[in-house]
Amino acid sequence: MPQVEVGGKTYEVDEDGFLQELDKWSRDFAKGYAALEGIEGELTEEHWKLIDYIRNYYTQFGIAPMIRKMCKDTGLDLKKIYALFPSGPAKGACKLAGLSKPTGCV
Amino acid sequence: MNKIIHIEDFSRSGGQLAQIDPAELMPLPPPYDKMSKPPIRQLTDEQRKRMDASLDGVVAIGLTPPANPEEEKAFIDKFLAGLEKLFTIENNWTFLQPLVHTLDYCVKCQICSDACPTYLASGRQEIYRPTMRAEILRRIISKYIKKENSLVRKFKASDIDLNWQTLARLAELAYRCTLCRRCAQVCLIGCDNALISREIRKIFSQQMGIAPKELHEKGAVQQLKVGSSTGMTPAALMNIIEFIEEEIEEKTGRKIKIPVDKKGADMLLIHNAGEFLAWPENLEAFAILLDAAGVDWTLSTEIAGYDSVNYGVWYDDFQFSRVAIRQSLAAKSLGVRKISLGECGHAHKAGIVVADRVLTGDLNIPRESILPLLEEIVISGRVKLDPSRNNFPVTLHDPCNMVRLMGIVAPQRRILKKICPQFREMTPHGVENYCCGGGSGFAIMQSTNFPDWRSAVSGRMKFKQILDAFHDVPGPEVKKYLCAPCSNCKGQFRDMFEYYGVWEKSGILYGGLVELIVNAMVDLKKPFIQWEWH
Repeated sequence: MPQVEVGGKTYEVDEDGFLQELDKWSRDFAKGYAALEGIEGELTEEHWKLIDYIRNYYTQFGIAPMIRKMCKDTGLDLKKIYALFPSGPAKGACKLAGLSKPTGCV
Repeated sequence: MNKIIHIEDFSRSGGQLAQIDPAELMPLPPPYDKMSKPPIRQLTDEQRKRMDASLDGVVAIGLTPPANPEEEKAFIDKFLAGLEKLFTIENNWTFLQPLVHTLDYCVKCQICSDACPTYLASGRQEIYRPTMRAEILRRIISKYIKKENSLVRKFKASDIDLNWQTLARLAELAYRCTLCRRCAQVCLIGCDNALISREIRKIFSQQMGIAPKELHEKGAVQQLKVGSSTGMTPAALMNIIEFIEEEIEEKTGRKIKIPVDKKGADMLLIHNAGEFLAWPENLEAFAILLDAAGVDWTLSTEIAGYDSVNYGVWYDDFQFSRVAIRQSLAAKSLGVRKISLGECGHAHKAGIVVADRVLTGDLNIPRESILPLLEEIVISGRVKLDPSRNNFPVTLHDPCNMVRLMGIVAPQRRILKKICPQFREMTPHGVENYCCGGGSGFAIMQSTNFPDWRSAVSGRMKFKQILDAFHDVPGPEVKKYLCAPCSNCKGQFRDMFEYYGVWEKSGILYGGLVELIVNAMVDLKKPFIQWEWH
């Protein structure tokens, strides 16, 4: 199993860097992982808004939210999301939120 | 020139059998003739230690080498036991006859190689020939199952040395064929080398528990457990349906209640669940159109009743049967007259064609494609349409399972000819189409460097076809629409378009068929298609 080191702690991830165990996630994980995802500087309020939204949706429904809904509910458009998370909503934002990789025909 | 590779080479340990050389790949028109990045990401040394990539440096499964000779022997024995089962009717009630036919009658004329988009686009890599897998299998059967003596094998030039390495490469090679069956279509004696790929996958899955995670663990198994391969539970489904209803109202001013679990409806419509999460405009368009046309329909919230996918059709008969039965049970419990399948190609093959082998008695509910109904709505004039609303260049992708396999060729064309003034065909098209490159589960296989391979190699022929279809309007200033009535194909186009930077360079949006119909509806004030979601 591949591993990734963030802030002195080791985490098990899949081949593409998605956290394997959701409960190992912490805000420090997201902060430390940001640099690996091409985010410069500290995570801003808007980053956290999106991360928190994704995690809340996941807790309630067991999946990552659909992108359209995410944009609508957070008021951040897709362009803005890409500016915040250069790898995009699924490969960037969901990864920092500690979700596993989306599956199925999505 | 790519190097000549012999079957004996498959058994050699160490090293990578084939190299994908960017200079040998089939050329693409500008600006895609000069790509700055290497076509396929190299694996790290650490990944190579864990996962076998000795076929072509690409990983679909990534087997771990055995720790000792005992483990290797057990692995080989298991494979042979599974192989033997393929040839008994009790264990292979699905495809025994075409399997035996293909193994016994292929004369290796190689007409099929010239029909295979993966082989051609790769620059004629020997390993991707459609006949390659069958020949490996044939030799294994001759030596280890039929145990033909060495003289006979020498005479037939059919020797092979079976070790772990041979099988690890064969397992990967079974996942370098998109099962598009263009090879079978051109074969003069009806051999189906795509079926061979599928049956090899079946041995690995059913006998050895080996399959890409996205197809099995996160796919079929998850679908049967929570309801959908996307992980979408019925509660999440209802949340999304609510969102879709809101969206419809905002876009059109219409308050439409999407029918869910409506007992006794005429038709249960099953979408690929990917639409709910990634392409909700497809569901919105269906809801708007069916409402306007007065169709008596419903969605289901039963397990598998709201996800038409059946990944087993690509790799495993057991998983296939389980899902097919659940889908039929969902329809039966609602008492609908028929099941209709939305825009998803493999679900057509699985649900309408292959499921006939599984569904008996009252489970054998009529199952059909939604396309003829869409045609009837458009041609009858039941819904008023204005083609000038679709006055942009449109081309059509033919999903292999709907078109080549099932012969659903004309409905989508009669629709587009009526509502899209700038519709143009690709060359070739219809039953002679090329696969999107994401067939047989590839579009959902997102791990390591496999997505690079399907954008650079298996999807390359289709990508060139799309660019050629728009050769008169190549630049991004003219917005163009690639109509792809299949979720799996759309997933491949999304990834491939991102890989090549297609929106920025060429301005091509991909989407479904029903969106174009709704975009032409006279009664809607605003255009339905939103070009910003490219």
